Amino acid sequence: MNPGVIKAYILKEFKELVRSRLILIVYILPTMIIILFGYGIRMEVTDARTLIIDNDNSRISRDLSARFDHSKYFDTRVTSGMSEQKALKRIKQARVDILIIIPNGFEKRLLHGEKTEIGVFIDGAFPVRATTMQNYVKGVIYNAAQSLMRKKPENLITINSRNLFNQAMRDEDAIVPGLIGLILLVAPAILSALLIVKEKEEGTIFNFYSSPIKKSEFIVAKLVPPLILHSLNIFILFLWATWLFEVPFRGSFLLYWGAAQIYILISLGVGLLVSIITRTQIVAIVLTIIITIIPGFLYSGMLMPISSMSGESKIEAHIYPVMYFNHIIYDTFLIGQGLDSPKNQLYLAILVFYALFLILLGSWLMKKEIA
Amino acid sequence: MAKLEIRDVTVKHRNVTVIKDARLYAEKGEIIGLIGADGAGKSSLMHAVAGVIRFEGEIAFGGRRFGSPREAEKLKPMIGLMPQGIGLVLYKNLTVSEHLSFFSKIRNLKEDASLDRYRKRLLKMAGLERFTDRPAGKLSGGMMQKLSLICTLIHRPSLLVLDEPTTGVDPLSRRELWKILEEIRESEGTITLMSTAYMQEAAKMDRVYLFDSGTIIASGTAEELTETVKEYVYDPVPCKSERCLSTSHYTYSLDPLEALHKKPTLEALFFINALKRGVEIPQIEVSERESEEPIAQVVMEAKGLTKRFGDFVADDHIDMELKSGEILGLLGANGAGKTTFIKMLLGLYPIDEGELTLLGKPIRSAKDRQGLKARIGYVSQHFSLYKDMTVRENLLYFASMHRIDAAKASSRIERYAKELGFESYMDSLPTELPLGINQRFSVAAALLHEPVVLFLDEPTSGVDAIARSQFWQMLKLLKQKWGIAILITTHYMSEAEYCDRVVLLKEGKKVADDSVENLYRKHPGARSFEEIFLHYYEDGR
Repeated sequence: MNPGVIKAYILKEFKELVRSRLILIVYILPTMIIILFGYGIRMEVTDARTLIIDNDNSRISRDLSARFDHSKYFDTRVTSGMSEQKALKRIKQARVDILIIIPNGFEKRLLHGEKTEIGVFIDGAFPVRATTMQNYVKGVIYNAAQSLMRKKPENLITINSRNLFNQAMRDEDAIVPGLIGLILLVAPAILSALLIVKEKEEGTIFNFYSSPIKKSEFIVAKLVPPLILHSLNIFILFLWATWLFEVPFRGSFLLYWGAAQIYILISLGVGLLVSIITRTQIVAIVLTIIITIIPGFLYSGMLMPISSMSGESKIEAHIYPVMYFNHIIYDTFLIGQGLDSPKNQLYLAILVFYALFLILLGSWLMKKEIA
Repeated sequence: MAKLEIRDVTVKHRNVTVIKDARLYAEKGEIIGLIGADGAGKSSLMHAVAGVIRFEGEIAFGGRRFGSPREAEKLKPMIGLMPQGIGLVLYKNLTVSEHLSFFSKIRNLKEDASLDRYRKRLLKMAGLERFTDRPAGKLSGGMMQKLSLICTLIHRPSLLVLDEPTTGVDPLSRRELWKILEEIRESEGTITLMSTAYMQEAAKMDRVYLFDSGTIIASGTAEELTETVKEYVYDPVPCKSERCLSTSHYTYSLDPLEALHKKPTLEALFFINALKRGVEIPQIEVSERESEEPIAQVVMEAKGLTKRFGDFVADDHIDMELKSGEILGLLGANGAGKTTFIKMLLGLYPIDEGELTLLGKPIRSAKDRQGLKARIGYVSQHFSLYKDMTVRENLLYFASMHRIDAAKASSRIERYAKELGFESYMDSLPTELPLGINQRFSVAAALLHEPVVLFLDEPTSGVDAIARSQFWQMLKLLKQKWGIAILITTHYMSEAEYCDRVVLLKEGKKVADDSVENLYRKHPGARSFEEIFLHYYEDGR
C-alpha cells in the first residue's frame, strides 16, 4: 500500500465533504436522532387527563380524589353530578383519558364493611398507554384502600419493591444508551456507502478503475474519512446522553470508547457491502437505512429485552451485531461491570470478529472493473 | 509487431455480447478512430483496452499482453482512459489545480520541478491557466473536457483511450483538444484510440474502424473507406426502391441511378451499411396538425435580453426574432450563453434586463406566461424523460400534463410513433433505447399538445449520422406541415446548413445573425460552416 496515494484520496474526500456541506449531515444527523428519539419515545404516562365524578362527596371519596390530584401522573378535575353519558362522550372526543366515577353512598357502604364499586373508564386507543394508565389507577386506589384498612389485622403483607440499575425507572436511562448503538450503526454506514456509490453514480470511479491504485488502497481511502468523522460522534453522543438526558455513567469510559470504535468499523463494513451491490446514491441510502435501522431498533433491547425473545426473533437478534454492542453499552452506562464480566469480554471479541469479517468480505467482493 | 494489438476481443455485458471478435492494431504515434452508431460496441472495446472490463481474447501492448483487468494492472501506469460523458471523471467541487495535483498523486508521480513544468505546459495547452482556482463544476463543457484530457495525460501515458471526448463540445474547444493530442503524439509518441461522432474529425485520423452492432465491419484510412462506397453515392434525387435512401444533401442507392455521382464523406458508410444489411430505416412522416390555431407572424421577439450570474454576464443585451415557419439555429461555444438564453425564453431563469414578447404577448411576469405554455414545446439537453416508465407511459403522462383527453392522446401517440419511427419501442424503457430513438421520442413528447413554437437545446449531441439525418427530416416536415417555428442549438456545424437563419453567440454577445447563404457570401474563402464559425471566434482573440 502506498501512503501517498491513500493520503491524496483522503484529502480529496475531506475537501468534497466540506465543500458539498455533507459534513453538516455527519454531525447533525446523529444529534438529531438522539434528541428526537430520546424525547420522543415515552413509555411512562404523565398528566393523563382524568375526570373524577364524585357522586358521594364524602371524606373518603375526597381523600381518594386528592390522591389523584397530588400525583404527577394525573391531571385531575373533580366534578359531581355529571351524567355518565356526558362523561363518556368526553372520552370519545379525546378530551379526557381516564374517567373515574365514585358512586353515591360509597363511604357509607365501606364503613359498613359492604362491597362497593368504583367505575373506571380508560381510553384504550393506544393499548400500551391504556395498560399503563390502568395500572396507575389501580395503584392509587389500592394504596388508598390500604391506608384506610391500616388498622385491620388481616393486612399483613405489604409489597416493598425496588428496581435495580434504573431505580427511578427513567425512560431516558433505558432508551438513550440504546440510541447510541443505533446511531453508530446507521450513520457511518450511510456515509461510507455514499462516498463509494457517489463515484460510481457520477463516473469518477473510472479514475480508480483505470489507474494503478490498489483495491486495498481505495478501500482504506474510502473508509478512513467516515471513521475519523464519526469517531467524534462517540464523544458528542456521550455528552448528550450524560448531560442532556442525565443518564448515569457507572462503567469504564475506555470500554465505551473502544467498543464504539469497533462498532463504527462494523458499520463501515455494512456500508462497504451496500456500496458493492448498489449503483445510485439514493438506493444506497435507502438500503443502508433499511438494513441498519430496523434491526438496530428491534434487536437493540430498547423495546424488548433479547432474553425474552424466542424462536426466530432470538436467532435473528443473535445474528445482528447490535445486541452485543448494546449489552456492553448498557453495562457501561447503568451497571458498570466492565471487562470483569466474561460476557462483556466475549461480546467484545464477537464485535471485533464482525468488523474484520464484514470489511474483509467487502474487500473481497469489490471488483476493480465495470460490473 | 505493432505496438498495440487487439486480438479477437469479445466483451459480454450481463450475458449480452456487446462486441465480438474485434481486431485492431496501432503503431507508435498513431491516432486511431472508432466510429459507429450509439451501442455499436465502441465503448466496450475501449474499456477492455483500458483494462476496466472483463473480456475474452487478448490485448498486447508494448510487448506485454493481458487477457483480464487483473492482468492489465501492470500496464495501467502506461494507459490513460477518458470515459464517455462531459466532465465524467471530474470532481465538481475540486478546482482545476486540485485536480492536477490529485491525479499526479494517485498516479504516484514524483513531485519535482519537471512534473511542475509539465503540469504548467498542460494547463497552457488547455487554455486553463487563468482558471486554476475554479471548481470543475463551474467550467463550461469544453473546458471540462480539456481538463479531463490533461488529467488523463498527467502520467504521460503511451496509450491514450478517449471515448467521445469531443461530443457536446463546441468547434473551438474541439480544435484545441485536437491540438493537445497532436502535440502529445509528436512529443511522446502516444498511441491514441478515440471514438467520435464527428466525421470531419474521423477523416483526420490515421486509420478508422467502423463499428456496427457489435462487430468491426471495415477499417482503413478515410480515403480508403469512402472509396469503397463511392459507387453508391449520388446527388440528391427522389428514391423509388427500398434499396435507396435520400437525405437533403445526398442520395444513397445500391442499384445504379441515373444521377450524378457525388464525392462521399465518412457518413455515407453508415447509410450504405444500413442499406446493405437491409435495416429498415423508417421514413419520417408528419401529418397536418389536428387543431387549427392562428399563428402570429413573429412568435418570439427579444430586445436587449440580459442575464447575469453575479459578476458574470451570461447573456448581454441580445436581440433576436423568431418567425413562424422558420428554423433558427443558435450557435456558440460552450458557455456562450445559448442554454441560458433558451431558459430565459421559457421562464426557467428570470430575465434581468430587456423585453421579451412571446406569441405577440409582452412577458413581464410569470403570470403572462400562463396561457402560453400550451403553445410552446421544449426539449432540454438531457431529454427530461422518466427513466422508470416506458415510452408509452412517458408520452401518456406528458399528454395528461397538457390536459389532452385520453382517447385523443392515445391516438395521437400512436400516430407519432408510426410517423417518427419509434413504434417498435413503445414498451421499452428510455434507458434501453438508442440515443437517436430517445431523441425523436423526446420531441414527440414536446409535440403532443401541438405547439406553435419549439425550443430544442442540443438535441443531436452524440446521436449517430442516420438518426441525425432523420431528425432534421422531421424538423423540416414540421416546419412545412405545421408552420411551426423552431429554435435549436447544436454543436454540429454541418447542421447549421439546415437552418433558415443562424444566430452566433460569443461570450454572451450576439456576433452574427443572418441566413447561411449570406454568411457564406460574407466569407468567400470558407469551405465549411465550421470555418465561418471559427472565423468569428478568432476575431478579437
